[in-house]
Amino acid sequence: MPIVTLAAKDLRLLLRDPRSAVILLLTPLLLILVLGLALGEGFGEKPDDRLRISIVNLDRGLIDPMAYPGKPWSEVVIDDLSATQDIRLEIIPGRDEAQRLIEKGRRPAVIIFEPEFSERMTRASFLGSSEAVNPFGRDGIDFAKLRVTILTDKTQPVSASIIEQLTQVTLLRVVIPWMIGKAFARVGDDRFMEQVAARLLDVKPIPADVLAELDPVIQKLLAALTNDPDFKLLVLKEFSEAKGSNILEATKDAAVVAKRTPEFQRAVHKAFQKRDILERLGREIAFGEVLTPSAQKQVGPTVKRGVSDLFSNYNFEATTWADLVHSEARAANDANRMEYRDTSGSGLLNRGALRYQILVPSYTVMFAFFLVLSVGWLFVAERKHGTLIRLRAAPLTRSQILVGKLLPCLAVSLGQGFFLLVAGRVLFGMTWGSRPELLVPLVVSTSIAAVGLAVLTASVARTETQVAVYGTLLVLILGGISGSLMPRDLMPEQMKTISLVTPQAWALEAYAQLLASPQPDVGVVFTSCGVLWAFGLVLTALAWWRMDLD
Amino acid sequence: MANFVLELSDIRKGYGPLMALDGVSLAVQEGEVFGLLGPNGAGKTTLLSIAAGLLEADSGTVQLFGQRLSRRRRDLRHWVGIGTQDLAIYPDLSPRENLRFFGQLYGLSGKALENRIEEVLTAVGLADRANDRAGTFSGGMKRRLNLAVAVVHNPRLLFLDEPTTGVDPQSRNLIFEQVQALNAAGVTIIYTSHYMEEVQALCPRLAILDNGKVRACDSLPNLLRLLDTTIRAQFTRPPADWTQRLAALPGVKQLRQQGEEFELVVEEIGPVLGQLAQECVTAGVALQSATTREPTLERVFLHLTGPELRD
Repeated sequence: MPIVTLAAKDLRLLLRDPRSAVILLLTPLLLILVLGLALGEGFGEKPDDRLRISIVNLDRGLIDPMAYPGKPWSEVVIDDLSATQDIRLEIIPGRDEAQRLIEKGRRPAVIIFEPEFSERMTRASFLGSSEAVNPFGRDGIDFAKLRVTILTDKTQPVSASIIEQLTQVTLLRVVIPWMIGKAFARVGDDRFMEQVAARLLDVKPIPADVLAELDPVIQKLLAALTNDPDFKLLVLKEFSEAKGSNILEATKDAAVVAKRTPEFQRAVHKAFQKRDILERLGREIAFGEVLTPSAQKQVGPTVKRGVSDLFSNYNFEATTWADLVHSEARAANDANRMEYRDTSGSGLLNRGALRYQILVPSYTVMFAFFLVLSVGWLFVAERKHGTLIRLRAAPLTRSQILVGKLLPCLAVSLGQGFFLLVAGRVLFGMTWGSRPELLVPLVVSTSIAAVGLAVLTASVARTETQVAVYGTLLVLILGGISGSLMPRDLMPEQMKTISLVTPQAWALEAYAQLLASPQPDVGVVFTSCGVLWAFGLVLTALAWWRMDLD
Repeated sequence: MANFVLELSDIRKGYGPLMALDGVSLAVQEGEVFGLLGPNGAGKTTLLSIAAGLLEADSGTVQLFGQRLSRRRRDLRHWVGIGTQDLAIYPDLSPRENLRFFGQLYGLSGKALENRIEEVLTAVGLADRANDRAGTFSGGMKRRLNLAVAVVHNPRLLFLDEPTTGVDPQSRNLIFEQVQALNAAGVTIIYTSHYMEEVQALCPRLAILDNGKVRACDSLPNLLRLLDTTIRAQFTRPPADWTQRLAALPGVKQLRQQGEEFELVVEEIGPVLGQLAQECVTAGVALQSATTREPTLERVFLHLTGPELRD
């Protein structure tokens, strides 16, 4: 009963002390508020130097799902982007959200694949038909023609420009092989050759120089023809019919022709040397007459092979960049894709921002240990007001006096811990994680450790100044070592290990599990709680031994 | 046989080389107001602390209500109240809260406690300020609250260490009256003060402490008898046998002469003065001047402790 009486009195005094309320409740809230407003979105996140590319994918996909590439063209572009080193992709769920992020300055640029993107990509072609879409413009890809929109924040022009250029390069890498492949498939085909032949029909007269170059071919043809036995028979037959089936006459004529063929060939050869003759000949025929339908079928594939051979470093039949340039394919990298989370919060206070998941527990832990000031002042005040003498004169044991003082300190610490977590949720939209019930043992354990440190400090300090100096130094130094003043994730690993000499570090480890991890490691949480209890008990035992009530 | 509530036997207490108490033995009877006097540093507060169980003596024994006081006999403290030299109240609590807290520590509760609180508040004149913060009170009000806190649990033995230091005459008077009332109600009081007139008025018996030793411990009259009562007089043309005639006056214990001044050491001043006047008329001697000097506690105190300044 005396313990309850003592505890109730001290609790009343603590609650009436405005310094305690300011230090334990108001200051941490103000610090969280100020830092929450001042710190950037990335505070508390693991450092990631990769360039973030934000995408809204509204693409309806292919009209014919079986057509190349077998999936929406937007996915092809996203896969290509994901294969790019040092970038991370986030898919934002909608245009409105993207617009909001841009307006808030939280993203420098957002790429939007509009619903018609795949359809426009399918139609992208070098051909000049009415269906074809020419995606190129002055600066490369004309985004509008492919139905790609890029939202940019005018206040972040450099970052936005980098993202825009990266999008350009990626789209070129996807569009160019697709268009070249499609175009090259047309080279040498029937329609292509018909068009070539039709064009060549207009090439008239054939220049004399061109005909002159044909002389060797003509000579070869004539020689081969006149020596061909079947040709000779055809000649004989023709002559025979002309002579009224007089075989003898026909044979004589054929012999004359055969005998005079060399002279004829020479005459032809000479004719091909005479420009005026050739010019007259050239006016009689056109190139297109030579390129007959059968010739077209023969020439088309040959032309295609010829072009392929000529540009052997490239595969114009390819539809991907890797095949086009004979390089290794860029595999999509899922590791570069990340889930979109709006970590910036909303409203004036940035409610729900990720940083509050770090700031609230950090300052809850740090200011839990500022209990040293309140408790220290409580002990000093007991001496200063002379009431410690009365307590010692009363029928009380030393243990009753000390326990009577510990209990209200513990109550205040618990109240402070829960208050800050509730305030974190109500004011700053902080979440309590997936295992909120585990916050209870953690707050209790942290308070046990804080009370231990507080009474140890109170056992050493004799004046209010000593309490203020020892207490503030102790809390700030331990806070700095433990990572209360900065995210623990930013600390070097060695420092993280060293920080475990402080109770604050253990508390922060457990809070990180409960508030920042989707699936908290309960083992880590309970280990931390155990260590905090050990800190509390050892520190309290030291204070018990050290405390001088005389 | 006397019923002692406090008996100190050969108490010794040192702080390093300094002996604060050096073989002090005292006994206080039930129902008396016992005065404890001494210059600064005499060891009074140390003695009270040991007697109240706040401090352990290096040697010697303390008996409270016939029981030897020790750490294990905390039950004896239920019957002891302490009015400390320095204020010992919570300034952030009201008088009522202070009294309730200390009353509960001594085991009082419920209606008995509340009644006692009202009684004590009324007694010290703080009933109308019972719910105000004590920190806002004047020095005198705080002193009265300090006394109230000391007696809220109805102690049988009350230590009052300079209870009227720094208060106005009204508060001093009230405290003074309360001490008398408490004593009248049967509370044994051990009272220390630098105000000799207070001790002289309150304490029929007292001890004077100096340099850790008891210089005197007796009833007030006996202590006063340690000094002479004197009449100093000068006469015009006294006869030759004037010295013999003065020495022969009834009630004169001793006669000393320094020049023309005669000093008569007497039992009582009044009767001797009458005799002296009669003798002057008879001898035709004119009384030029006469001054009387009776012993006071202050003079006794200075006589026993010496005039040297104490720090």
